[in-house]
Amino acid sequence: MSVRWQSLIVGLACALAGCGGDGSQMRFVENSTLAKPVHRKARAVVKTTLEEHFGAPLNSVAWLELPVKYGRAEGKITAIDDQTLSVEFNAETMDLTGFDAAEFAGTELLLTSGTNQEKAIPLASFDGKTKTFEMSSLAVVPAVGDQFVAGGNVLKHGRKLYARHCQHCHGVSGDGDGPTAKYLNPRPRDYRQGKFKFTSTAGPAGKATRDDLRRILGQGIPGTYMPAFVPMLKDGELTAIIEYVRWLAMRGEVEWQLLGQFKDEYASDRAKKEAKESGGKESEIEKQIDSQLKEFVKSGLSALVQEVAGDLADKWIAAEEEGAAIIPELARVADSPESRKRGKDLFYGKVANCVNCHGLAAKGNGAQTEDVAKNLRTGELYPTPGLFDDWDQPVKPRDLTRGIYRGGRRPIDIYRRITQGIKGTPMPGAPKTIKSDEIWDLVNFVLSIPFESPAPKTASAHSIAGQSGEKGHAN
Amino acid sequence: MRKFWCGFFIFWPIAAIIYSAVSPQFNWWFPGPSVTELGQRIDNLFYLILIIVTAVFIGTQVALGYCLWRASHNKEERAWFTHGSHNLEVIWSVVPSVILLFLALYQMDVWALYRVQSFFPKEAREAPVAEVTARQFEWRIRYPGLDEHGVPKKLHLKPQPDDLYTVNDLHVPIGRPVMINLRSDDVQHSFFLPHLRIKQDAIPGQIIPIWFKPERPGNFDLACAELCGWGHYKMRAQLIVEREVEFQAYLQKLRADQNYDGHATPSAVAKKDE
Repeated sequence: MSVRWQSLIVGLACALAGCGGDGSQMRFVENSTLAKPVHRKARAVVKTTLEEHFGAPLNSVAWLELPVKYGRAEGKITAIDDQTLSVEFNAETMDLTGFDAAEFAGTELLLTSGTNQEKAIPLASFDGKTKTFEMSSLAVVPAVGDQFVAGGNVLKHGRKLYARHCQHCHGVSGDGDGPTAKYLNPRPRDYRQGKFKFTSTAGPAGKATRDDLRRILGQGIPGTYMPAFVPMLKDGELTAIIEYVRWLAMRGEVEWQLLGQFKDEYASDRAKKEAKESGGKESEIEKQIDSQLKEFVKSGLSALVQEVAGDLADKWIAAEEEGAAIIPELARVADSPESRKRGKDLFYGKVANCVNCHGLAAKGNGAQTEDVAKNLRTGELYPTPGLFDDWDQPVKPRDLTRGIYRGGRRPIDIYRRITQGIKGTPMPGAPKTIKSDEIWDLVNFVLSIPFESPAPKTASAHSIAGQSGEKGHAN
Repeated sequence: MRKFWCGFFIFWPIAAIIYSAVSPQFNWWFPGPSVTELGQRIDNLFYLILIIVTAVFIGTQVALGYCLWRASHNKEERAWFTHGSHNLEVIWSVVPSVILLFLALYQMDVWALYRVQSFFPKEAREAPVAEVTARQFEWRIRYPGLDEHGVPKKLHLKPQPDDLYTVNDLHVPIGRPVMINLRSDDVQHSFFLPHLRIKQDAIPGQIIPIWFKPERPGNFDLACAELCGWGHYKMRAQLIVEREVEFQAYLQKLRADQNYDGHATPSAVAKKDE
């Protein structure tokens, strides 16, 4: 009997432990197309570098090089005396006695439980010895026992929320490969190239602003599986998730770029190639590579990492600067039949040439979708006809007759899509020769498409093979 | 041991009644009084049924307890076998039937008002205020556009160029019957407004009208009540009941936001919202 009981308890414990699971480790890009051409020892260097600067989700490192609003501490309020809060930090929080009181002045304490959950309390100061915060306002009064995140610790709070709401699609490391991802079309975003499709910033290199991410979380992306998370998630929760996503994107991009840097010097087939050329022994050359890499780790690696991170940080910071968001030169040109007509001419014209992808009937089945496209990164042709994005996933040009606009339906959203293109996809930005008022004509035309048939009647009769706009194509 | 069983069968009905009686104090009951009058009538029907079943429950439990008690105190008396009593059987068939028939007839007007379109208030039926489309995993809402006086136009079944869109945030005016059209984009969902006692499945391919007349302003939960997939819990939206002026201002703000071109300030009216 007792043995039976014991085995039952052990069995239950195992089952419960299994529930906890350790699915929370970052995956490295071992098998991706980018990692494969890199020598395995160089890959290991990238991996250790990442572990050093980012850590793991449960044990993240605040790398101050990056423009992420990290937090410092979390814990519980143990006593309240007028404007003073006595607190107890939890085990994860580093020892705060060493911190300068000034570090917390002017920051906020975010409550994560209790009746005032998600409300922030402005802080005047912190006393490390007595572990007390001085509140600078009494607008929100917490209760004893309330949990909080102070000086931020936004990243840890963000990780928890990300794990609950985002991870099952976007994956632990933000690689867009969570357990539910394979059932979705389009696939969830892989943040690791630091590319976000629908941003307000310029150019293909423009990063997403915090407001862009907040807007996507609030509005969702119609036509995809990304739902809207407001009002379920409150403002403070969105902030935490946004910082965590930025952190994941930066981590991924550092990984991506380091691998790219190692690709030429430390190719995975370098030993084989050199042995062939010089007639030397492969194992000798392997040894040579090993010592060269060790030398580099000692002398040049930290500079390289700093450079990569510095560049990346500059871009993310630039996205937040005033003026980074694209504001049209002109206010919207009034929506009139004439304006739509001008837009229509542009749509079908040679300069903008929207019709090439979006098709004669704007159903997203233009001639280009029948062509075999070239992978711009590898220089090879894709195996199947159609368009592909930077994640090597097939994409279709938007069917503009449906009135579903993934990046938002405001005129400004459409304007930004047209002028800047959609990052990571074959949708290019409009050529500079097209002026602001002409873009607005295009916007007016695009917004009118769902409500009238845009295809000129004669056009379908003269349509080139494979370009007949009326037929839907199943690719 | 005999006493124990008497006590056991008396304990549970008493515990059940005490539990029900204290429930409202701990918020284990309805989420406050209904925001609509129709919801109040639905609650009344619920209470009527609750009273009937409570009476039956107490009666049967008392009878059971009495039998046990009597048997535990009397060793002489023995149970006897019977083929049944025709009269008793008629009584216990007819009485519940009458009760059920009474309930079926008594609730008919509430049901008709709640579900039968021809009984809906005319003004609600003729001018649906919005279309709500359930989707994995959010509520997409479409209001009709506003005319030059800022008055909402008629809501068409097909999207119109000036329609106003929002997500997870349904605003309705207070004090007049409003109707929404419920649709589903993918699977079956259920439009659940617990504070208004409204629950209606959203079925792909169907447009299902729902009407209500909110009597009290506030911010109420709108949840999905049909397990619709792994993200079911994400379908947590809000219903905001506000004064007519605020509702109109909200639509104006929505229009301003939706027409934002980078130059006009989005939602000049937004201050009212804060």
